[in-house]
Amino acid sequence: MSYRRKPLWRILLDEFRRIEEEMSRIEDEFIRRIKEAEGMRGCITPLHNLYESGDEIIFTADMPGSNKEEIDLRVGENYIRIEAPCKSPIRGERKYLLHVELPVEIDPTSVRARYKDGVLEVVARKRLRGFRIRVE
Amino acid sequence: MKESYEGVEIVEVEPVEGEGFIIIEGFPDVGLVGSIAASFIADRLGMKEVGYVDVEALPPIISVRDGKILELIRIYRKDNLLAILSDVPVPATIVKPFSRELMNWIESKKPKLLISLTGIPEPNRLNIDKPKVYILASNVELAQKLYETAGIDKFKDGFIAGIKGMLLKEGVKRGIDTILISAQSHFNYPDPGSAAEVVKYVSKILQIELDVKPLLESAEELKLRLRDLMRRTSQMMQGVQKSRELERPPVYL
Repeated sequence: MSYRRKPLWRILLDEFRRIEEEMSRIEDEFIRRIKEAEGMRGCITPLHNLYESGDEIIFTADMPGSNKEEIDLRVGENYIRIEAPCKSPIRGERKYLLHVELPVEIDPTSVRARYKDGVLEVVARKRLRGFRIRVE
Repeated sequence: MKESYEGVEIVEVEPVEGEGFIIIEGFPDVGLVGSIAASFIADRLGMKEVGYVDVEALPPIISVRDGKILELIRIYRKDNLLAILSDVPVPATIVKPFSRELMNWIESKKPKLLISLTGIPEPNRLNIDKPKVYILASNVELAQKLYETAGIDKFKDGFIAGIKGMLLKEGVKRGIDTILISAQSHFNYPDPGSAAEVVKYVSKILQIELDVKPLLESAEELKLRLRDLMRRTSQMMQGVQKSRELERPPVYL
């Protein structure tokens, strides 16, 4: 029986595919949990992103079918919570619900928010404690 | 040496015969702009399903709509216009061989033009009411011609990651006229507004009438319906380093 060794690129490609399958499994589990929670609670988890920029955090959530007057936005030093109606002409009225833990403390009194083209944007200043050090 | 990839089978349920084909592809990526735009065009023009692409590496699932079983990646036709639509993102690890195999089939059809539709990530999208549209072509003359006839700005510097970039690369290599029409878009939120701008330019290039009003009117509903595909597509975009599109290529002088 002849035995041909796999070329290195093939071994690497196989390994990448294995890693991708594993990542895909983890992601699939994550999505399953979101969808099951949505089903159990009858609410929608909006797509969202959180960015850190200098001394601010910027949070956005894609929430089409809502309106700014009805968005219940609450913030604490380390969380953002959103509850808002979602009106869909096809699926009827549902609700957006999201609670996000923040990676850094924010100053809740500094928060600004706007709702434009179905996207909610929340900007807050980070609560920074410390001393200014003179650089020599 | 590149190994031929046997994991892609393109099935023509109705033989795709003829010449001078213009092929539009709308695989899901940034803001699902390509998917939304290509699906809208296929729907408005009443294109008919003529085939599908079977990919070994895709998960073993089928799509069902109104009780009808659909392939995940489908080919539609009307006259000499073909559209390739997909309900799933192409897995990152097979993007290169998949693009080559798809291009083999496209090349066999002796196309007049291949049009890729996509979004270009724009971090300030929220502050932009009318997204800008850019064109990138497989050759300079084609880009110039489209710039003059349709008035689309040329895409000058940046990276194009994933299947759109690979199809353009294959287009250059094989001498197939290939263009990429991209509009400023949200990165990982479905962006029908951006797709509408892309459709306007496709309409100009193909000289066909496409009213984007119905697309804009159903934007909120579309965004809601496409949340799940966007989530899955975000995962794929990480695999092809789509974030590179936010960077500029290095310049040393």
